[in-house]
Amino acid sequence: MITILSDHTRHEIGERLDRELRERKIEAEFISLADLNVDPCYSCGGCTDKTYGQCIHRDDADIILPKLMRTDVLVMVTPVKWGSYSFKTKRVFDKCAIIGDRHYYCKNGELVKGKIGRVHTFMAIGVKDQWNNDERQVFKSLVEENIKIMNIQGNAYMVDDSNLNACLESVVEGLR
Amino acid sequence: MKKAVIINLSPRKTGTSMMLATRCQTILSSRDYLVEILHLYPNLKDMSALLVAVKEAQTIIMVGPCYIDTYPADTVYLLEELEKNRDVLHGQDLYGIIQGGMPYVHTHESGLKMLELFARDNGLSYKGGFVIGMGAMLNGQPLNKLINGKKVEHGFELFLENVAKQEKSSSTLYYDAQLKIPVWGCYLMAKMMNRKIDKQRREKGIGDQEKSPYDKPEIH
Repeated sequence: MITILSDHTRHEIGERLDRELRERKIEAEFISLADLNVDPCYSCGGCTDKTYGQCIHRDDADIILPKLMRTDVLVMVTPVKWGSYSFKTKRVFDKCAIIGDRHYYCKNGELVKGKIGRVHTFMAIGVKDQWNNDERQVFKSLVEENIKIMNIQGNAYMVDDSNLNACLESVVEGLR
Repeated sequence: MKKAVIINLSPRKTGTSMMLATRCQTILSSRDYLVEILHLYPNLKDMSALLVAVKEAQTIIMVGPCYIDTYPADTVYLLEELEKNRDVLHGQDLYGIIQGGMPYVHTHESGLKMLELFARDNGLSYKGGFVIGMGAMLNGQPLNKLINGKKVEHGFELFLENVAKQEKSSSTLYYDAQLKIPVWGCYLMAKMMNRKIDKQRREKGIGDQEKSPYDKPEIH
């Protein structure tokens, strides 16, 4: 199962990707963050001490996280702010730790964590009006760290007006 | 007297980020700074107190935990609010401190890079930061409780010196303090921590094969 988790972006990249996949008969679930409200992770420890593996705060993460549990490939579409995910995207990502494997593993001589649910591939599509090299590098490096720590495979895609169609095509190809 | 504001980016008011913020406050207060610590989370609905403090300060220090390789989501919100209220930004010095569970600095460094880009876009003077691994393990205890406590203490003191003198702080300080773990050490650490996790699960009556609450039909 492929899940597209999409914050609102210029040119509605998430929606376009969803349409492209449907046209090619590739099954995907589309989650728009536009009307969902996920509260912060308060680091209260409730998901360990009170309701193990579940956040004690009720919000729209209750809608998103069960869907992510059934996902093999997570495609995150996010506006990029200073090389990082958007505020709404990152709020979801912060809570993903709850459904992550808490165990530690060793890979390439370093400690890493386990997967989020059963996600084995993470594709992050960062969207900006125009990328500059520094921000491109920072975003790429962040996504690579995410992939490394989750011990999975994946890629960072950096979309702007100059490469929109080519980038979408490349993502779709990667998902075939 | 110079003014500095320390913003605690952690949702917790006690814990490792706050311990580091307090250390920072103590040093700067002894160096002729008027220092205020403000917590981000109680101010999320009304940022006015934070905006005033930032406007009055010559030095801004952001201290926070690392959630999945960078600062928590609400840090992005804070930066967006500062950008929206650009009149409070007037070329102040900006320093960052980030601490996270993994022992490697590269895991957490993206947080500092975000601050650097923010500073560049908004006319602030980014002067560096400090990264601390295994911060979650500390849970608010002093830095000397870390396995590499001596080195981290030394590096952090030099970093605070830089802050007090409004100097640039080099990443060499935290890279030099990083714990070097041999491959066998990784396996040992993983085994020890996993044993603790499994014990915790057993104590709560959660079996090895038990599904996540989010993988059960009733929560869908």
